[in-house]
Amino acid sequence: MALIQLDNVTKVFSSRKGDVEAVCGFSLSIRNGEVVTLVGASGCGKTTVLNMVAGFIAPTSGKVLLEGEPVLRVEPRCGMIFQSYALFPWLTVRENVEFGPKVKGISRKIRKKLSRNYIEMVGLTEFADSYPGELSGGMRQRVALCRALANKPDILLCDEPFAALDAMTRQVMQQELLNIVSRSGQTVFFITHSIDEALILSDRVVVMSARPGQVKAVYDIELSRPRKIDVQLTDEYLKIKRKIWDLVEEEVKASMISSG
Amino acid sequence: MKETELTFWRASVYGSLGLVCFLGLWELAIRFHLIDPFFLPPPSQIFTRAIRMTTGPDAVLLSDIKISASRVLAGFSLSVLAGVPFGLVMGVSSVVRATLNPIISIIRPLPALSWIPLSMLWLGIDEQQKYAIVFMGCFASILVYTTDATMRVDPVLRRAARNLGASDFQVLRYVILPGALPDLLSGLKVVLAIAWTCVISAEMVGANSGLGFRIWTAKEWSDTGQVLVGMISISVTVLILDIAFRGIERLLLPWQRKASGT
Ligand SMILES: Nc1ncnc2c1ncn2[C@@H]1O[C@H](COP(=O)(O)OP(=O)(O)OP(=O)(O)O)[C@@H](O)[C@H]1O
Ligand SMILES: [Mg+2]
Repeated sequence: MALIQLDNVTKVFSSRKGDVEAVCGFSLSIRNGEVVTLVGASGCGKTTVLNMVAGFIAPTSGKVLLEGEPVLRVEPRCGMIFQSYALFPWLTVRENVEFGPKVKGISRKIRKKLSRNYIEMVGLTEFADSYPGELSGGMRQRVALCRALANKPDILLCDEPFAALDAMTRQVMQQELLNIVSRSGQTVFFITHSIDEALILSDRVVVMSARPGQVKAVYDIELSRPRKIDVQLTDEYLKIKRKIWDLVEEEVKASMISSG
Repeated sequence: MKETELTFWRASVYGSLGLVCFLGLWELAIRFHLIDPFFLPPPSQIFTRAIRMTTGPDAVLLSDIKISASRVLAGFSLSVLAGVPFGLVMGVSSVVRATLNPIISIIRPLPALSWIPLSMLWLGIDEQQKYAIVFMGCFASILVYTTDATMRVDPVLRRAARNLGASDFQVLRYVILPGALPDLLSGLKVVLAIAWTCVISAEMVGANSGLGFRIWTAKEWSDTGQVLVGMISISVTVLILDIAFRGIERLLLPWQRKASGT
């Protein structure tokens, strides 16, 4: 059984200016342990899809299933990493990481051990008692990653988490995520604008059409793991990148024409 | 030219200098008969008067200060205890907000002074009446400040908390309350000043103790010196309370002291 299943999902936003059909007939299933990335033109409905999986918004029609059960409210089993980090500024790094376990009622001792391990894993031990405001963007995103992982989600949802980072930090973060995935078999559903990022990370790349968003194509990425940055120089990589690029470009053009 | 921030000590030196000059000119203006001391006694005379009012046989100043300050603090605490939880609920629930908004819009523009007649009719001039005045003057403002502060908490943080498994109550307790705290505290500082206005005015109209009462009685006797001592006492007490408040603020918001930005 698929861990996540989106079945012919449609989302229409109604506003005073009229209805916007953001996603239309979107179907996809994600198996346990898979890393799936979603790429597509800006405004095609990627965030909307992710928000429906997390339970932040409900689909207008169609079904979103987590382990066969419909997602009806905000779902803690789907841990989200936000582009804007969304760290609690009044909590220290450690307290941020312990937030999920704390609201679940896990004992202080276990929480402490948990947060220490995760914070050490991303190399922030000496900043454990700092506030988010004292950290760089890359460090904040690592804390966000820790915080989501410490809650032991079944699936990690990422909405362009590295988009605000500089190219170097971004690469480091990608490798970090790859390490975590290879170690723990974490299932990941990842949105990105960058085809390179998608290819480095994923088992499958899903290309979305221009709005209203649908699945336009799905590619299995069979590049060997562990993937280092030099995989980008192989012929196999370049071939698939070209294919995806052509498709995305088409959709970007389509979306620019349709929105004037 | 670039405007540079003065160090604390240099700023204090300039500040003291300004104060000394001001008091000196005032004193001289009276010594040289430019101003009648009956209208405005010189600082030296006010000073000896203040000493007499604090140490003499009929020393009332300190107890007046204590009485007024405790009225302010009691009324203020009461309105905080009632207003903050209410404001939090209004901030998170648009239904409650819509229901209560008209009532608050009617109450809030009323100056605290306009409650004095009603409160005297209901409660006489005892302590409860003072608390009631402060409460009426502060409650609606606290409500509005709290609601605003609550609504300014970044919605993405609420989402993040719910995503991590927090219940509605936990979101309120662990996200909305601390998130609203900085704005809430700056609002409360403004309200504390309103509370002082309420108490002093209430004491002037109907009381037999407190700084407002003392100033008003002195006016009846055309005792300018005592009026001024009373006024200066208000100002010093408010300053001290303000410093205390700032200390509390720093204690409650350690993350704002250390971190700049978010
Ligand atoms: N709350 C909302 N109310 C109304 N319209 C919305 C809302 N959220 C999204 N939309 C619309 O739905 C469409 C899809 O938005 P979405 O945020 O999912 O796009 P996206 O693919 O994530 O874009 P980007 O790559 O720029 O982040 C957009 O046209 C947007 O204007
Ligand atoms: Mg988006």
